Amino acid sequence: MSPLERAEANFAWKLVLPTIAVLSLLILYPLLYNIYLSFFDVQLNGDKAFVGLGNYTKLLANPDYYSAIGTTALYLLGTVVGTTLLGLAMALLLKDPFPGRGLVNAAIMLPYVAPVISVVFGWQFLFDPISGVFNYLMVDVLHIWTERVNLIGDPDSALGVVILFDIWKHAPIAYMLILSKLVSIPRDQYEAASIDGYGPVGRFFHVTLPELHFVLATVILLRLIWNLNRFEDVYLLAPNVQTLPIFTYYQAFTGVIDQGLAAATSVIQLGVLCVFIWFYIKKVMKW
Amino acid sequence: MLGKRTIKGRIGFAFAVVMLVCFSLLPFAQILSTSLKHQFDWGNPSLIPQALNLNAYKELLGLTEVKKVEIPVAIQKILDNPKLPQDKKDAIAAKYVANDNLFPFGKYMLNSIMFSVGAAFISLIFAVMGAYAISRLRFKGQVVIQRSVLFVYMVGGVLLMVPLYQMAMNIGLASTMWGSVVCLFLIYIVQTLPVGMYMLGNYFRGIPFALEEAAMMDGCSRTEAIIKVVLPLSLPMLATVFIYCFIIGWNEYLFASVFLKQYPEFHTLPLALQELFVSKNAIWDRIMAASMLTLAPIVVCFLFASRFMKGGKTDGGVKG
Repeated sequence: MSPLERAEANFAWKLVLPTIAVLSLLILYPLLYNIYLSFFDVQLNGDKAFVGLGNYTKLLANPDYYSAIGTTALYLLGTVVGTTLLGLAMALLLKDPFPGRGLVNAAIMLPYVAPVISVVFGWQFLFDPISGVFNYLMVDVLHIWTERVNLIGDPDSALGVVILFDIWKHAPIAYMLILSKLVSIPRDQYEAASIDGYGPVGRFFHVTLPELHFVLATVILLRLIWNLNRFEDVYLLAPNVQTLPIFTYYQAFTGVIDQGLAAATSVIQLGVLCVFIWFYIKKVMKW
Repeated sequence: MLGKRTIKGRIGFAFAVVMLVCFSLLPFAQILSTSLKHQFDWGNPSLIPQALNLNAYKELLGLTEVKKVEIPVAIQKILDNPKLPQDKKDAIAAKYVANDNLFPFGKYMLNSIMFSVGAAFISLIFAVMGAYAISRLRFKGQVVIQRSVLFVYMVGGVLLMVPLYQMAMNIGLASTMWGSVVCLFLIYIVQTLPVGMYMLGNYFRGIPFALEEAAMMDGCSRTEAIIKVVLPLSLPMLATVFIYCFIIGWNEYLFASVFLKQYPEFHTLPLALQELFVSKNAIWDRIMAASMLTLAPIVVCFLFASRFMKGGKTDGGVKG
């Protein structure tokens, strides 16, 4: 290694050191500490008693845990499919320039950047049994339902609202990712397909979709990674929908507090997350 | 997709776009509308209020008149005592000021600003240093660090809440008010640092190295070259990253609720709004007005940032 290279490496280490320090201390170390905690009975005030695999056996014997896994699976399925399809539809619709496109873009990005805490109240009001527009539509205008229903109050229907909310909030990112790939597809590929006799639908399946293959996989993987640990959107809109993060939160901080059990839940979840992230780093990453 | 050359195609296209925009904006319209309505008007499905009601905003922004509370004669005598130091007089008098402002919105907003702006600023400094090293310099372990940053970027807060809380408890920080504030501040820094590094790393790579090289040939050191050449060129991206980190902090609820729940004087807006919603003081117009005011800074920031996001707009579109 030449002195110049060594000087460069030294300089680089000086620059990344603060980052490495905080990230190790406040993310990597806690993840390991979490595994340690999962073998203890942990009190809120920090008292611990070793219980071995006790937390895990307790967790696996808890029917609520399985129901949380089921809810999470439904939530992931609904949001991943919905977000990807809506994002794709938006990208196809808004691909070509038209007057006012900038404004339309800003409008549809707004749900993504807006604070969750604000927009959940808007959604709660829309689905409110007494004053909400949704119930008004279903009961008074369309006469589909005979009486007003508290959709968010009932955990089963609330899951549907939460999924719709998540699609509304995250379709813009899917849209942006898909659009950036869509506009880079060379025009002559479409022309060649036209000459081969494909109509608009045929061109979509023979040119667009194969080209988008990779970016669609990216979108799906990212949705899985982020939504597996999604807490705020679900908890603030409908605290009765118990996906795994909400289940863990309740274990850790409310009612009969059992932080060891919460730690065990997080450890299992981290394992699943690592599989997704491994896929992402292996297949998608473009640093 | 739709053939835009025919009239039918154009109408269909316009209809689809309008529907999409309505779908995106309806909840916002609902918030704005309800915040301006009187109670009798809530059940009215129309978004336009029958009569404008600005009371909720006035109340939140402290524009309503402070009601005078009568000070008992005995207390007034104490206050008139010239020997009493002024600060003690103020302390006593403060107890007799009308305390009907149930929701000190301004204070919560200041807390939110303090946490999110402070964390975003420090995070940006670290991110600039780290991202430059990773994207521009060669050293052993570079790839490992890159991938680790991406990994920690994707670890959700839910997986960290128990161990971070226990760590803070073990060293005694979580049991004091200022300790909890420091913890939350540090957590906001680590929550925003990876995304900042990721965005900036991608951006720095696009700046031609020849520019720095030229500066260094003119006698600048490497550090000077970064400060005089790279940073000015990255100004739009620096602003975007700052705003992005700011938004993450501003919107955060989970850790605020874990660390600050028992310290109302440090509640951030998301925490305060949620507490208001579950409390007996929850009135739709007040909640909606508070939501609107929480939303406003983000919308302004976003409109500002989106002007710069044309070039690398997908760089930031990963988180969330």
